[in-house]
Amino acid sequence: MTHLAPEAALSVLPRADGSAKYSYAGYTVTASVNGPIEAQKRDEQAYEAVVDVIVRPAAGVGGTRERHLESILQSSLSQIILITSFPRGLIQIMLQIESTPENDYVNTKLVQASLNLAIIPALLQTAVLALLSAAVPMKATATSSAVAVVLQDDGAKKMVVDPSPRDIESAQSVHALIFTSHDELLLAESEGDFTVQDWDQAYEVAYNVCCQAEAKKAGTDMMIDDDNDASGSDMRHFIRSTMESKVAADLHWKR
Amino acid sequence: METERPFVLPGDSIDPSLIPVPRQQDAQTQNSKKQAVLRLGPGLRHMAATGAIVPTVPGQLVVDGRKRSMWVESKGGRYVASVGDVVIGQVQRSAGGDLFYVNLSPYTSNAILPHLAFEGASKKTRPQLAPGALVYARVSLANRHMDPELECVSPATGKADGLGPLVGGTVFDVSLGLARRLLMARSREEGQVAVLDFLGDEGLAFETAIGRNGKVWVRSDSIKTMIAVGRALQKTDEDDLSVDDQRKMVKWLIKSMR
Repeated sequence: MTHLAPEAALSVLPRADGSAKYSYAGYTVTASVNGPIEAQKRDEQAYEAVVDVIVRPAAGVGGTRERHLESILQSSLSQIILITSFPRGLIQIMLQIESTPENDYVNTKLVQASLNLAIIPALLQTAVLALLSAAVPMKATATSSAVAVVLQDDGAKKMVVDPSPRDIESAQSVHALIFTSHDELLLAESEGDFTVQDWDQAYEVAYNVCCQAEAKKAGTDMMIDDDNDASGSDMRHFIRSTMESKVAADLHWKR
Repeated sequence: METERPFVLPGDSIDPSLIPVPRQQDAQTQNSKKQAVLRLGPGLRHMAATGAIVPTVPGQLVVDGRKRSMWVESKGGRYVASVGDVVIGQVQRSAGGDLFYVNLSPYTSNAILPHLAFEGASKKTRPQLAPGALVYARVSLANRHMDPELECVSPATGKADGLGPLVGGTVFDVSLGLARRLLMARSREEGQVAVLDFLGDEGLAFETAIGRNGKVWVRSDSIKTMIAVGRALQKTDEDDLSVDDQRKMVKWLIKSMR
């Protein structure tokens, strides 16, 4: 299935140090970043900043699932933020999910129980854009992709990038991967039954979406089927062009 | 001597040809050694292991070949104190009988302003500042492991040079980028911000102080003027107005004030 191109708006919240609104593949997330600010005495760490990630669902209050997403994002983001530059500090990242492809208002109990890996790319990308908008010093930027391994009727396995809820329902396994802008793997979360070969393939597909999309456009990449090709949007290029136009507007006075 | 300003994201590699190299004659003569040193401004870090210079914030990489310095220009997020910046702070309280705790931006740890760091201050005549009072001060010590320290007096001359308590008036928040432009020696030519000149030309009488931490203090006898000046600055900041648009906005503002 194909998705519309990702969309983003930066510095949408006037009171926060930085903010971003991002929508792609049916997910819309707004993030605000505040920091570096003073950490509470009980949380502060003597040699580095605390990264505090808060995920709020589209409907209702956060539960176990949101706490799990927070911990995944927290560990990934504190790897790319220069936390040692701000000892005893706090960098607060608030992620408000606005809409998801599935309907949050029905079957909340059922949804609550399962982890939704497909939302990680949207959350991560929004957080990175908001951090860039807040000019928080970072080692690198990061991009993310989710891949579902779907068993087709003929027994062949198909890799679906940015899967829809339907794809996830029928998938054997779902993988969420995050790469830094230096092509390093930052996070790999998987769910379901899969073999090492499945994972390798999922990794390859996600790597191409996150890191090698420019090469793919040049026609050097043969990994992905034609119908999948369009769904893998070039995330790194997207972040770069979004930030570039924002910076150009901010620095209009610079001749 | 500025050339093109490439856009950079954190972690990008910088084209080595952009990094200014010391000229031969500079490196050889002893007394100009100071000039030969490359100086890194905000938004860049030097990796000791590889010797590479890596950006840490998104923005435009500015290279000044004459001053042998480079930095990343951006509108900036939250203020992080650095030595030599002039800032506007709000006194929180006096502590220990010899210093004030001063707030530079909301939710950050307080800066320290010693009672004796004012012009002509001595143990007998120390300034009396109530909580909430505003001070115009220079950052004298900034270190990531310590709270920043401020001073309202030049340590070399013992003169205030315009620093000290700000009496009356009100403070407006602007972005760090606009504060930097306003503080430029030639803010109209270099920073493309002339809104204060235009307001003055229209006959408004007011006084301003600009803090590098994104604060602008405005005082005037008329409250209307005070608000007009502050809002004009904030509007210039929010809408990224050009000099021409600033002139139009000021004209409109003056008309609507009558």
